[in-house]
Amino acid sequence: MTIADTNQHYDLDPEVFGLFLDPRRKYSSGLYESPGDTLAEAQDRKLHFVARRLGLKGGERLLDIGCGWGSLVLFMAEEYDCEVVGISPAGRQHEYIAGLARKLDVSDRVDVRAGHFEETDFGDERFDAITMLGSIVHMPDLSGVYLKARSILRPKGSLYVSESCFRNAEMHARFGERDGTHFVRDAIFGWGDMRPLSELVRAAEDAGLSITGVYDLSEDYRRTIEHWLANVRAHARRIDEIQPGMAEQLTYYLEVANAGWGYTTKHYALVSRRSR
Amino acid sequence: MPALTRDEILPTVTEIVAKVFGLPTQELSPELDLRQIEGVDSVKVLRAVATIEQRYDIELEDEDVFKLKSIDDLATVIEKTL
Repeated sequence: MTIADTNQHYDLDPEVFGLFLDPRRKYSSGLYESPGDTLAEAQDRKLHFVARRLGLKGGERLLDIGCGWGSLVLFMAEEYDCEVVGISPAGRQHEYIAGLARKLDVSDRVDVRAGHFEETDFGDERFDAITMLGSIVHMPDLSGVYLKARSILRPKGSLYVSESCFRNAEMHARFGERDGTHFVRDAIFGWGDMRPLSELVRAAEDAGLSITGVYDLSEDYRRTIEHWLANVRAHARRIDEIQPGMAEQLTYYLEVANAGWGYTTKHYALVSRRSR
Repeated sequence: MPALTRDEILPTVTEIVAKVFGLPTQELSPELDLRQIEGVDSVKVLRAVATIEQRYDIELEDEDVFKLKSIDDLATVIEKTL
């Protein structure tokens, strides 16, 4: 499997995602505080959470790897005056982000590039912070990714990774080849490996980074997916008009994901820093 | 609170499993292998387990969760945990 195959899901018609995600089209976990929180509130809270974990004060240079529809790129440019580079292999996302950046008047601070992080040459570009929300799962060379991220971080710069993980090495070995896992990995995404947190920690340490925080976001992701499922149900007809059979496929994917939290899988944020 | 008996647990568990699977309770006998029911996979079994854990406010042992086959097995591990 080559990494060129990894973007099939993300390159679907953007309108599909507009029908079940929040208004920013953030395709990763929100952060919930109270039972009445809406999806949009949870996603905004999560973006502020990421900014705090990275220690953003305003004006930093940030790289978002696997930027999706630009929710984090645009938010950090608008709310924290950051100069943000986004990178993603899914071509359809770039036009969409560029259009929004113009509308929000942050085009001068937003630069979105097509391609794979592993293959991108950053030259002498350096960043104060790097984010990877749900993207490292699609990258086969974990230690290579951490080493490269460290090499382009400025001293004292932070790396925020949030990822869905098998609960431990045993679950990884036991459930990595089940039907549900195959469906999510192969039919939906093309390639993905939900490594246990210990592997992520090890890759961060081996790259020379210091761990500054680990956060369990499993329950937040469960609630996020409940919101997405409700939206898929509400818009199933339109989703199927755009892509026949998509509503059912999405529902199955999201239900598989939500059945696993705590039993086989967890969702963690792992923050590390280029410092001793 | 006195511990629930197996006879008290079985109807509740059957009802929860039927609801999660989208089947009438009459189609579920205690010994039936749940994964052999058409349209039922491990994902649905896990969802039933999660609902049961919430209902009884318990956390079943991992080994029990991944080993259980029937409603009867479920009742046994719930009884053991309560």
